[in-house]
Amino acid sequence: MDPSPSPLLQAENVSFRWAPRLAPTVELDRFTIAAQERVFLYGPSGSGKSTLLGIFGGVLVPQQGHVRILGTDLGSLGASRRDAFRVDHIGFIFQQFNLIPYLSVVENVLLPCRFSRRRRERAMQAGGNLEAQALRLLAQLDLGRALHARSVTQLSVGQQQRVAAARALIGRPELIIADEPTSSLDAGRQEGFLELLLAECASSGAALLFVSHDRRLAAHFTRQVAMDEVSRAAPALGEAA
Amino acid sequence: MKALVFIAALLACCAGFARADYQVGDHLAKPAKPSAHGAYQEIDWDALMPKDWDPIKELKATDLGMMRDGDPRANALLLKMQELWEKAPVEASLDGKRIRIPGFMVPLDEAKGKVSEFLLVPYFGACIHVPPPPANQIIHVVPDKPVAGHHMMDAVWVNGTLRTIRSQTRAGMGMASAGYRLEAQSIEPYKQK
Amino acid sequence: MNLLRLALRSAWNRRVTLALIVCAIALSVTMLLGVERARIAAREGFSQAVSGTDLVVGARTSPIQLVLYAVFHLGEATNNMLWKSEQQIAGDPAVAWAIPISLGDSHRGFPTVGTTPAFFEHFKYSLGAPLAFSAGRPFSGLFDTVLGADVASHLGYRLGDAITLTHGSGGIGSVEHADKPFTVVGILARTGTPVDRSVFVSLEAIEAIHLGWQGGAPPPGGFSIPEQFVRKFDLTPKTITAMLVGLRNRAAVFHVQRAINEFAGEPLMAVLPGVALDQLWQVVGVVEKSLLAVSALVVVVGIAGMAAAVLASLNERRRELSILRSVGAGPRHIVALLGIEALLVTGSGAALGVALLVALSALTGPWLESNYGLPINALGWSVDESLLLAAVVAAGFAAGVLPAYRACRLALADGLTPRL
Repeated sequence: MDPSPSPLLQAENVSFRWAPRLAPTVELDRFTIAAQERVFLYGPSGSGKSTLLGIFGGVLVPQQGHVRILGTDLGSLGASRRDAFRVDHIGFIFQQFNLIPYLSVVENVLLPCRFSRRRRERAMQAGGNLEAQALRLLAQLDLGRALHARSVTQLSVGQQQRVAAARALIGRPELIIADEPTSSLDAGRQEGFLELLLAECASSGAALLFVSHDRRLAAHFTRQVAMDEVSRAAPALGEAA
Repeated sequence: MKALVFIAALLACCAGFARADYQVGDHLAKPAKPSAHGAYQEIDWDALMPKDWDPIKELKATDLGMMRDGDPRANALLLKMQELWEKAPVEASLDGKRIRIPGFMVPLDEAKGKVSEFLLVPYFGACIHVPPPPANQIIHVVPDKPVAGHHMMDAVWVNGTLRTIRSQTRAGMGMASAGYRLEAQSIEPYKQK
Repeated sequence: MNLLRLALRSAWNRRVTLALIVCAIALSVTMLLGVERARIAAREGFSQAVSGTDLVVGARTSPIQLVLYAVFHLGEATNNMLWKSEQQIAGDPAVAWAIPISLGDSHRGFPTVGTTPAFFEHFKYSLGAPLAFSAGRPFSGLFDTVLGADVASHLGYRLGDAITLTHGSGGIGSVEHADKPFTVVGILARTGTPVDRSVFVSLEAIEAIHLGWQGGAPPPGGFSIPEQFVRKFDLTPKTITAMLVGLRNRAAVFHVQRAINEFAGEPLMAVLPGVALDQLWQVVGVVEKSLLAVSALVVVVGIAGMAAAVLASLNERRRELSILRSVGAGPRHIVALLGIEALLVTGSGAALGVALLVALSALTGPWLESNYGLPINALGWSVDESLLLAAVVAAGFAAGVLPAYRACRLALADGLTPRL
């Protein structure tokens, strides 16, 4: 770990419980992500990683502690400012059902630009209009033009995940949070997807927080962390969740 | 005094007209002091009766205590009063004046929800069982433009130019003197204060 | 792409369910506006028929019954009044014109009105419009008849045709005055009042066809006085049903009314038609209000159905909403999306309902007008109707925004990965 002067993401003393009478789902002392860092977060299901990602994404507000992204304390922002901040600086990729079924491939990719002016402008900086940028990204992620005409429900899971990656990457947000993005893919395709994702993150200069229960993929990452090292509330490895 | 006679007669009237909190025989409140509303001078119904006209004058002057029971002179007096009532004169000085007066509306001509002619009377209830108001207490109103949104026995303010009309023909069943006509420029709903 | 297009695409995705709801709302709007229209048409139709008549005079019965029967030919016959009284009243200096009316016969379901030529000269309707002829002239000969516009068009009569009258209103067993046919000499232009549905003959003709009749039945044995001999008899009527009176001084109406009510010759009653109709509306008003309440309830049911469908769809849309949350949509965006959808559904339902109403008015309007005297203007629009429509759309919007709050709470609680 190499703490840079101002880390991209910095979480301290975070405690979150879903309801007052429940035990905390996440209890975190300190966690940082540096700019452009790739972090592999290993956690079995039930360890609270989705909740943790919600906290990092500013969707969930912890009862105690602070989460700072690019120096801004998420807890100090009002709800709608937090939503705006999230789309300005973070891209998300989920395990499945990433796409809105009634929009086209390109429209799905361009969704963040609809809600964030910053990402729209950054996307257009590369030249050309938004649609051209979306197509370029899709091409980098190995999605040929022929597929664009198809409705998203006709794409395979692998193709959908790559569209989701394009959506997360457009407009070059500083942080990509991927929650088990390969878990629905065939074993043979998982590595391919990961390589594409890493390449794109590198070229757009984004940090990547990659969460998965599959340790085999950890090899691609410089920094590997287990859930129970991050949050005291996560069950220790080997224990039942 | 005349108002009291009205109300006494109307108390025997049939029911069924209790709309908008008015009972049969209700008059609208007289203004504390008549004021001017723009070009229109607010008047009340008493002003429409000439000051010197008092059909009950003789009745008031007679000492009823001096008569026997069933005295024919008492009834004769009543009949004379009724006759005078029928010949109610108009106050000529009001001819051409622009006035504002409140009253109850009896539409005469109505179509497509608009009233093009109506009568304005001082009290609520146009029942068939009671004597109608004398000629100088009914105004025949003709609005400049037909007005919408009014119903039978609505209380309204009417602003317009008053004209006095003398009748040329014999009265027959109608009124001995013709009465008042108002060319109305505006009609507003009457709100109880 | 903006929120509107997003909402449109999302709605199109669920178009079958939403289309059903749009239809439900459309039908309820048609019913609501239709009831209101019919109510107003009834009022207008009735009030314009009596415009211009100061008093209706008849035997002392119920004012509403007299006006309904004498003017609208609806309901039962009232007692008759004496011809003598009519002459006296018509001759009074306060009276400008008087039209005697004699009812009791019909022709193929249309009421026959016995009257004098004064009818065509003095009768006015709808703010002072006089009667006009589309063909021919008023009756002058004894067996002349003038037809209202609808009678002529429904039965296909033209000038010169011969018709016979039926005694009574023409049910089973009615006797026909077959021995004395009438000739059509005039057809009136359309008025939109009960005049259109009437057949007009002279008072003398009514007497003539009932010569020898006793107590409402013809002479026994098939005997009847041949028509060429009728003039040998005195055809002055003895009684009439009612009379319409117009005054020289309209402000004198109360005085004349009272004088007639106290008439020494027989028990008579004079009615201001506007007052009688007003009493009628008060009675009918209760029914009208209940009809309106029922229609409003139906609209509420339609909108509740929409709210239920939106709520039900929220479950399938949790994924969609959490994706939107992850790309920066806040609660206000979600509320806006659902609100736009509710507005779209209610708005199109309302628009469709209005279109249905116009179509229905255009289709049934002519029939309603000729059979019931209800003037329905298919394209007419009133402020009240706009207000009703606005209320429906506002209610629909509110009903759509409520599930939106639930959706927000769901989305917030789900975080980024809803439990499916």
